[in-house]
Amino acid sequence: MIRWQYSSAHDLGLEANQRYCSPHRENDLTQNLMRLGWLASIRLVFKFWNRLEIHGWENVPVKPPFVITANHSSHLDALVLASALSLRWRDQISPLAAGDYFFSSKSRAGFSATILNALPIWRQRQRGQRHELGDLRDRLREQSAIYIVFPEGRRSRDGGLHEFKPGFATLVAGTTIPVLPCHLSGSFAALPPDKSVVRPRKILLQIGTPLTFEIVTNHAEGWRQICAVIREKTVALQAGGPSIAKSRHNDWRDKLLLTFRFARLLLHRRLRSLAALPNFR
Amino acid sequence: MNTATWQHLFGWRTAFDHPVTVWIVTGILLALLVAPLLIHGLFRFKLIPPEQRTELLLRWKSWLWLTAAMVGPILLGAGWVMIAVAVLSWLCFHEFARATGLFREYSIMAVVMLGIFALLFANLDHYDRMFFSLAALTGGVIAVIALPENRSQGYLQRVSLGIAGFLLFGYSFGYLGLMASDARYRPLLLLVLASVELNDIFAYCTGRLFGRRKLLSNISPGKTLAGALGALVLTTGLVFVLGKSIFAGTTMEDDFSLLKLGLLISLLGQLGDLILSAIKRDIGIKDLGVCIAGHGGWLDRFDSLVLVPAAVYHFLSYHLGPLGQDQAARIFTGGGL
Repeated sequence: MIRWQYSSAHDLGLEANQRYCSPHRENDLTQNLMRLGWLASIRLVFKFWNRLEIHGWENVPVKPPFVITANHSSHLDALVLASALSLRWRDQISPLAAGDYFFSSKSRAGFSATILNALPIWRQRQRGQRHELGDLRDRLREQSAIYIVFPEGRRSRDGGLHEFKPGFATLVAGTTIPVLPCHLSGSFAALPPDKSVVRPRKILLQIGTPLTFEIVTNHAEGWRQICAVIREKTVALQAGGPSIAKSRHNDWRDKLLLTFRFARLLLHRRLRSLAALPNFR
Repeated sequence: MNTATWQHLFGWRTAFDHPVTVWIVTGILLALLVAPLLIHGLFRFKLIPPEQRTELLLRWKSWLWLTAAMVGPILLGAGWVMIAVAVLSWLCFHEFARATGLFREYSIMAVVMLGIFALLFANLDHYDRMFFSLAALTGGVIAVIALPENRSQGYLQRVSLGIAGFLLFGYSFGYLGLMASDARYRPLLLLVLASVELNDIFAYCTGRLFGRRKLLSNISPGKTLAGALGALVLTTGLVFVLGKSIFAGTTMEDDFSLLKLGLLISLLGQLGDLILSAIKRDIGIKDLGVCIAGHGGWLDRFDSLVLVPAAVYHFLSYHLGPLGQDQAARIFTGGGL
C-alpha cells in the first residue's frame, strides 16, 4: 500500500505569537467564519455610517493574486479596501501592516492576524533579521493572495498624499501579478490619526486600471520606476475623480453621534459628582 | 425544564455532596501545593539539574490552569461539563486536522464542527439515541460533502481522516458529556480523569525505575513493558479503592467488577497514548501543538483519554443499566422522564 501524503500546516509547531507574525501562517475554518462576520459587519457600517461609494469596481481582476495600493491617512483605509472586495476572497486578502504597531502585543497581534488577516512589515529591522518582503513575494504567488499596501509607509498626518517608499515594488517587479492603484477620500475626515470614534463622513474609493510590471527588473531602479508609475496613477485618480460633497452635518448620523457624545458627557459628569460624595471616597 | 433538571445541569451547590468528589479534589489541590515545594527540594539537594527544574515548574504552571479547566466544569454542573467537552473535542480535532493537512478541507471541517455541536445538543437534551446515531450520520455526511468538489484524487484520504478524527476526538470525548447525564457524574468523571492522568504518571515512574524491555519501539521508543504493567497495577488499585465508595450499594460494588473497570481504564488509557504516538510518527512530527507549555498540544495531554470514555460508559451501563436513566430525558425536544 502506498503511504499517504500528509501536508501539515506550514506554521505547525510555532507558538501563538510567532504564528501571528509568520509569513507562512495558514488560515482555517474558524478564522474564515470570523472574517466572514467581521467583513460583512464593517461593510454594513461603511455603507450606512460612511455612505461608502466605490468607483471603478470593474477594474478589479477576476481572480487573485493581485496587489492593491492606496494613499493612507486613516486606520479605516485597510478596512474600507478589504470590505470593498468580494467576501469569497476573505482568506486571501491581507493588508501589509506595520509590525511595530499592529503586532506589538500578543492580543493586538492576535486580532491583526486572526480577524484582519494582516501580515507584518517591520519598519525597524534588528541586526541579522531577514527581510520579510521576499517571503511575502513568494506567498503572493503561491497562495494566490491579495495584498493591501500603503506605499507611503505611514498614515498621513495632514490628509495629503506624500512620497511613496519603493520597497513594496519588490512584490510585483518582474511578475505578471497586477497592481491596482486606488485612491481613498474622506477616510481622513472620518477617522483622523488623533481620533478614536469614527465620524459619519462620506468615504469615496476610486479603483484605477490594473498595471503589470513584467519587464521591470526586481532591483532598486525597477522599484523606483514602479513606485513613480503607481504614485502618478494615484495622483491622477485623486485629481480626476468625483469630489466628495461637504457633509451636511445635519443628517441622522451626525445627530446620533452628537446624542451619543452628549449622553457620554452626562454620564461622565454624573459619575464625577457621585465620586465627589463622601461615602464614595 | 424543571428545577431538578436545572440543578443537575447548572447547579453548583451540590458540588461536594459525594465524599469521593471531596477526596479527589482535595488530593489534586494537595498535589498542586506540594509539587513546587518538592521540585525546589529536589533542586536544592542537587537531585535534578536547573534546566529540569525549570521544565518541571513550567509543567506545574500549566497543570494549574489545566486542572481548573478540567475540575471547574465538573463542580459547576453537568451542563458545563458537556460544553467543556465539546470545546475540548474541537480543539483536539483542530490540532489533528492541522497536523494531517485536513484543515484545508473546509467542507469536511464544517461537517465535523456541526457533528460536535449535534453531540453537545444531544448531551444537553439528554437524547441518548440521537447521540449514538451521530457516529454513522456524521461519517456519512463527511463522505457525501466531499463529493461536490468533483475531486477524486485523495478522496479516500480526506474522508477517512475526517471520519477518524470525528470518531476519536468528537464522538469518543462526547461520551464524557453523556456520562454527565448520570446522577453520580461528579465522582465518576473525576475518577475517570484522575485515573487516566495518573495512569500516565504511574507508567512513567515505574518505567523509569524498572523499565528494561521496550513495549513498541517503532511507535513509542520511550515506553517500557515494566511501565505498562506498573500502571496497570497501580491504576487498577486506585480505581478499585475509589470505586468502592462511588458504586456502594450497586451491582458494581463487587471486587471483580471493580478490578475489571480498573484494568479497562488503565489498558485503554495506554492504548490511546500509543494510538496518538503512532499517528505522530506516521505524520513525522514530535508534538501536535504548542499551546500547553511543557506538555505540547491538547492531544499530547489528552491522548490517553481517547478510548476510555466510550468503554467506561458502556461497561457501567452494562452493569448498572443505562447511565442517567433516572434523569429527565429529551429536555428540549420533549419526552419527559
